[in-house]
Amino acid sequence: MARRGTLAAYGGLAILFALLPLVLDPRGYEMRVLCLVLLFAALGQAWNLVGGLANQISLGHAAYFGIGAYASTILQQVAGLSPWIGTLAGMALAALLALLLSVPTFRLKGHYFALATLAAGEAMRVIANSWSDLTGGPVGISVPFNPGSSVWMMQFQTVRPNYYIFLVTLILVTALFWRIKTGAMGYRLRAIKENEQAAEVIGVDTYRVKLVASLLSAAITAFLGTLYAQFQFFFDPDTIFGLAAFSVKMALVAILGGVGTVAGPLIGAAFIIPMEELANSYFGNSAAGLSQFAYGIVLVAVILVNPYGIVALFARLRGGRRRDRASRGGEARP
Amino acid sequence: MTAPLLETRNLTRRFGGLVAVNGVSLSVSAGEIVGLIGPNGAGKTTFFNLLVGLFPPSSGEVLFEGARISGRRPHVIARAGLTKTFQNVALFMESSVLDNVVTGALLHSDLGAARAQARATLERVGLAAVAEVRAGELSFPERARVEVARALCTRPKLLLLDEVMAALTPPEMEEIIALVRSLRDEEGIGFIVVEHHMKAVMKLCERIVVLNFGEMIGDGRPEAIANDDRVIEAYLGGGFRRPDRAGGSDDADGAGGAKGARA
Ligand SMILES: Nc1ncnc2c1ncn2[C@@H]1O[C@H](COP(=O)(O)OP(=O)(O)O)[C@@H](O)[C@H]1O
Ligand SMILES: [Mg+2]
Repeated sequence: MARRGTLAAYGGLAILFALLPLVLDPRGYEMRVLCLVLLFAALGQAWNLVGGLANQISLGHAAYFGIGAYASTILQQVAGLSPWIGTLAGMALAALLALLLSVPTFRLKGHYFALATLAAGEAMRVIANSWSDLTGGPVGISVPFNPGSSVWMMQFQTVRPNYYIFLVTLILVTALFWRIKTGAMGYRLRAIKENEQAAEVIGVDTYRVKLVASLLSAAITAFLGTLYAQFQFFFDPDTIFGLAAFSVKMALVAILGGVGTVAGPLIGAAFIIPMEELANSYFGNSAAGLSQFAYGIVLVAVILVNPYGIVALFARLRGGRRRDRASRGGEARP
Repeated sequence: MTAPLLETRNLTRRFGGLVAVNGVSLSVSAGEIVGLIGPNGAGKTTFFNLLVGLFPPSSGEVLFEGARISGRRPHVIARAGLTKTFQNVALFMESSVLDNVVTGALLHSDLGAARAQARATLERVGLAAVAEVRAGELSFPERARVEVARALCTRPKLLLLDEVMAALTPPEMEEIIALVRSLRDEEGIGFIVVEHHMKAVMKLCERIVVLNFGEMIGDGRPEAIANDDRVIEAYLGGGFRRPDRAGGSDDADGAGGAKGARA
């Protein structure tokens, strides 16, 4: 029964978000912010597959995101390829990188894993900056302009179609996350998270399970990179491979919302992205560095104060009320 | 005697200068219940860890059903039918008791069948009532039983139990003894049981192996072991009572005795 209620809540939410653009200016600022909310919710969900379920806290997912963005954009520039096709190359490359990274990082835990992935993300940034022939270097890269609207080239007059692409992607990624979390793989990932040695001894192939989750997570993140490129039309290495802009933010979205939960990234993104927009408009762009600093602070604060995120906070409040009621009931008894 | 289910040849493991397991050659037949005793620090847990593949041996090898398993990863060894419970209890503490056990059952079954198998196993070890409780909320003896249930769900041919009876009351011990016996009699599962409680070991096992400072110093029927001079020496040297008289509520004393044995 609880499950049907949850499903209804998600369905209602999806319908609400599907109707929202009808009342908003399709060229307006709110639409752009909502697109980012959906994008980051999906990024958080992809990150959650490994970071949340197996507690492999990656701070380098921007590597996959940037690879997706660059792959589809470069293939569009040089071959006129549709981003829907180009993104497949990006997804494959991102999965390949995840595979290569898995070799040195699978024995690493906690902070060591986080630092190793962080280094990988930074390495991609350096490569993109210096390999100018391919990427255009530090000045950035633009998606070739196609006049008119074209689903095939993922280019539109307004961001409304982008919004729906983000929304459908988010729904699919959330469904996939839920499926994995509640299935056999979810059991295995949780076992790894809670006691890796014990998981191995009772027959879980821990490397393989982590690898499969990483490959999925990387490929989805690369696909989202392509969606972002087609939404933004321009990006540079420091942004797309950026630590604060993507790597930390997507982790934060999942962690703040509730790590390893289905709702976590949705709540996290709905909270963080508008907050960030507010802060930027308040402090102005002169304080761009401030947001990086703020992320660091928020991340540390969340981990110290409430490592299980907003979802757990609500659960605890509800549980607390229930306990109160139970104890009151106890007092009433003779 | 059938061909051995498990065979170790000169199994040795060093930690720096310390030889935790020293040249142990042992074979165990299918369906045997073997006790493994020795003072704390004797290398019993390390020996188990070598068998299930948590550590590679420094030298020597392990054969299971005639095939060499040393050097393989633990999940491969578990699939072959050899697993253990952890002395210090290594449950998935945030997960429910049922989910812990389901994870073991997933080794050979899909999720639906694994759930059914897990429930049946919890029933069998007397934990059905706490199936939905978070493992971290259980008492130590209950956790140890969850360990047993989780391991059983991997369908082992040989199960290594590392002090699952520690901190149990005598009636609880009787339950475990009856459980191990019935699993062997009905399903042919073999066991190696590490336990400090001598009465329980004597009662449960048909054969006892003694480790001391990593070396195997005894292997025989319980009565023979209880009267073996080297074994008595190893225990008495550490301030132990004669093993066949030790027991009762003193399993916590093992630690103190072991430090004595080392000194
Ligand atoms: N991972 C390890 N690293 C270093 N020394 C270890 C390790 N595991 C066990 N030892 C040492 O090996 C010896 C045997 O320990 P153990 O196998 O736990 O004994 P037992 O289970 O018989 O009490 C002890 O001296 C212990 O300190
Ligand atoms: Mg031990």
